[in-house]
Amino acid sequence: MVVGNIILRLRGSLEFKCQLDSTDVPHVQKVISRTFEALGSQVKAESLVLSLSSSPVFLWPNKGGHATAGEISPNRPCKDLQQLIQTDDQESSRKKSAKKDKNNPTAGIINLTLMTEVTEPGVLSAPTLLRGSKKHHLLQTTLPMDCVVSVLSSESISVVCGTLVGALCSQLGDMEKVALRHMKGTALLIPQPFHFLLPAPVGLVTVVYPAGVPDSQLETQRKELHSLFELPDDRPYLRRANALHFPDEPYKDGYLRNPHVHLNHPALENGKPYLVQGVYSYHHYMQDRVDDNGWGCAYRSLQTICSWFQQQGYVERAVPSHKEIQQALVEVGDKQGSFLGSRQWIGSIEVAAVLDQLLGVTSKIMFVSQGNAECFRELANHFLSEGTPIMIGGGVLAHTILGVAWSETTGQIRYLILDPHYTGAEDLQVITDKGWCGWKGPEFWDQNAYYNLCLPQRPKTI
Amino acid sequence: MGRGYIVEDVVEKYLSNLSVPGASCVTGLLIGQSSSQRDFVVLAVRTPQKDTEGQGSPSVSRGAGNSLERLDVEWVTEHARQVSRMLPGGMSVIGVFLVTPPELSKEAQNTLRRLIFAVDKHISKGRLWSLTEEDVTEKVTLHICSKTRKVVCRTYDVRDPKSSAKPADWKYQSGVCTSWPLLTCSVGLNLVFPVLEMHVLPQDMEKCMKEGLQTWAKQIEDGLCLINGDAMPGEVELLGGQKKNAKAVQQTFRAQILIPMAEPQSERRLTASVKVCSGSLTLKGMVQCRAYLHSNKPRAKHATEVIKRDVINTVSSRVEMFLEDLLMEGEDKGSVGVQQVLPRRVFAPVPGMSLCVCDYMFPDECVSDVSDRLKEMLDWETPEDSIDTSQEAVPEAPTIDLKNTVVQKNLKAKSTLDARPKTPSEDPTEAHKSHKTYYAGVAMAAAIALLATGTSLIYLSD
Repeated sequence: MVVGNIILRLRGSLEFKCQLDSTDVPHVQKVISRTFEALGSQVKAESLVLSLSSSPVFLWPNKGGHATAGEISPNRPCKDLQQLIQTDDQESSRKKSAKKDKNNPTAGIINLTLMTEVTEPGVLSAPTLLRGSKKHHLLQTTLPMDCVVSVLSSESISVVCGTLVGALCSQLGDMEKVALRHMKGTALLIPQPFHFLLPAPVGLVTVVYPAGVPDSQLETQRKELHSLFELPDDRPYLRRANALHFPDEPYKDGYLRNPHVHLNHPALENGKPYLVQGVYSYHHYMQDRVDDNGWGCAYRSLQTICSWFQQQGYVERAVPSHKEIQQALVEVGDKQGSFLGSRQWIGSIEVAAVLDQLLGVTSKIMFVSQGNAECFRELANHFLSEGTPIMIGGGVLAHTILGVAWSETTGQIRYLILDPHYTGAEDLQVITDKGWCGWKGPEFWDQNAYYNLCLPQRPKTI
Repeated sequence: MGRGYIVEDVVEKYLSNLSVPGASCVTGLLIGQSSSQRDFVVLAVRTPQKDTEGQGSPSVSRGAGNSLERLDVEWVTEHARQVSRMLPGGMSVIGVFLVTPPELSKEAQNTLRRLIFAVDKHISKGRLWSLTEEDVTEKVTLHICSKTRKVVCRTYDVRDPKSSAKPADWKYQSGVCTSWPLLTCSVGLNLVFPVLEMHVLPQDMEKCMKEGLQTWAKQIEDGLCLINGDAMPGEVELLGGQKKNAKAVQQTFRAQILIPMAEPQSERRLTASVKVCSGSLTLKGMVQCRAYLHSNKPRAKHATEVIKRDVINTVSSRVEMFLEDLLMEGEDKGSVGVQQVLPRRVFAPVPGMSLCVCDYMFPDECVSDVSDRLKEMLDWETPEDSIDTSQEAVPEAPTIDLKNTVVQKNLKAKSTLDARPKTPSEDPTEAHKSHKTYYAGVAMAAAIALLATGTSLIYLSD
């Protein structure tokens, strides 16, 4: 992300309505194209209004960025818009998000929604009624417009309005291509935009995918885009699950994401942390109304790992429940039928087996005795190349390792641990303050115990 | 504590000048505005005389029993409905009055109760917007004794069929509405309603239009209203800036209506919906809207309410009138594929006040028709040059759909050149009474009544 830039996100629904007099393909394509063209004109009309979310400000982008609120004139810099946005509790959120916003380039995003002014004076005369009597198929839907633009914060409002309207037009163009490409007869798949934050220098891109077509069938499109953006061809960047999650949209499932980003790095001299890549959810005791206190820690660590594979786009299946995990182990013959519904612990071998059975993911198993610190190098390499969370089981406990850090000068090592034994609510403050997610020193390891680590490997796919 | 009605002086004059000879009764409407604190009455209009010849009923109640029992409630309610169409936003029929000889004073209350409930019910039919909790549902009934000129004022809550009469104050004052603020806007329409294949035009035209208009009306109701370019919070007082004893001046406010372009939350579809249609109805053009607020601390939310309701009313009224006319005139085969002009709105000043009422002119009518209607419905003379027909532009000559043949074009040309037949008034018990019938019928009745020696008005019983 470029410093000194502001991100504006414009969303709204355009009504798509067209009459098909016949169902033969060339006619249908012509009508669809014409309808998209008409929508393009609608977007450039003077009656288009942009509403600045959580504020009393409205902008008319096709009237030079004329606005309602008196203080905003079209040649003011667009960063002035941020001051007009009323946030609910600015005080409390500032405490928590002090660290978060630095790392997240899309914080401070300006949201706008589409509106239309029906009282925009035109040269129309008194109303007339036209009766058409031709038999036809009426195709009707709404197009979910979602444009994101990154502009200099000093750019004037009128120019930014022009950029936004341009983004709408080009998104309509992308949607038209997708609609025509995937159309069958009169079934028009709704084109849906997704935003992805690709590694530098590409940055923020928006891709339109047809609704209802699973990622597995869109591999050709992704291959084209991977070569266009020069992305590596062995890991997913453009699956729907990889879509950028905007900070102002809470996850609806209630799980915390990446609690570790709120922690300070360990204060080691010349210490470099090697961390998990991407996004995972924190799974722990007592969630989902399952009372697994005392026996479910490895299950929860496994759930955290599964959530990682789902959110990086490798699998579409939801995180498995305790039941499903046990069922999978019975299916592969690792456990007897009596295992189902029991409270038996599982270890890293079982975790690897389930990952293979349910997700098609292979894992490396590592044995570590006496809390041997030489495994550190292996872990660091793992986080560099695979970047998946590691499940560690030993003695009577299971945990998840999210990262390691080592000081070259002092030789000190730290481990970033996510503890599944937490039984409380999804309270980020408590979880980070009390160390349920935190950096631990070598005292974390029991010198007399043997540890098994399960290191899940990324499948080579896009 | 009962309600307080502040009434214009001209109403007092009108009521005292009403000629109520002998043992007859006179009914009429009271027009004004109700706010939560106070109610205002600015006009009183007697029910026009009916054409009695066509019915063959006994003309005058020469002492033959109770003329109250023979009151034609339907006639009164129909008059109320026609008058409602002529009132801009904010103004409505808020009550009825009844003048009776002293011996009928006791029964008068029952009659008034019947009348006010019937009138309210009839006026609310076909309304496309909904009442809110803040709407005042108390309507006023006024009984005047023809001999003593004593006035008895009571109110009923028309939402409660069991409500009993509550006493109310009736106070005359001058200049009640001189400083009533006026809101104006012009709304563009571009609506296409599908005619699904199970529907047959023209029978189902009303149903199709009603369904389509209902959706549009909801959008307007839910839309955002800017007043003089500002999005004011609802509780802001519109006339807040005025000094207490400042000269009462009517302020005009410009309204703008913004509609969000948002996806309906109902269903998340994957494909566009496909409907097989046998035709379509396209409603295009611009409507002029006006609404008045009272001067008793009106708030922004009242302003947005009255102007939005006027927008919805003016469109639904003229569509209703068009359909009624079509039904009466009979189906015009040549009208398919041709743009038919809906009646356009014209404005006329209320004598002695700074208010306007409106009327609708069919394409083949002229200003004198409007003037005649105003006389019949509202009982006052309007000089033709004071009628403002310039607010809505006359549409160009109906465009011909190129798909239609030349034959149909000629048919259409013929029908517009024909003068509208002035049919004699029809059976008053018929549900449909277009303005045309009403006008024609009553004109004849008025002529006959003037000639007849019996000057009392006869009301047929239900």
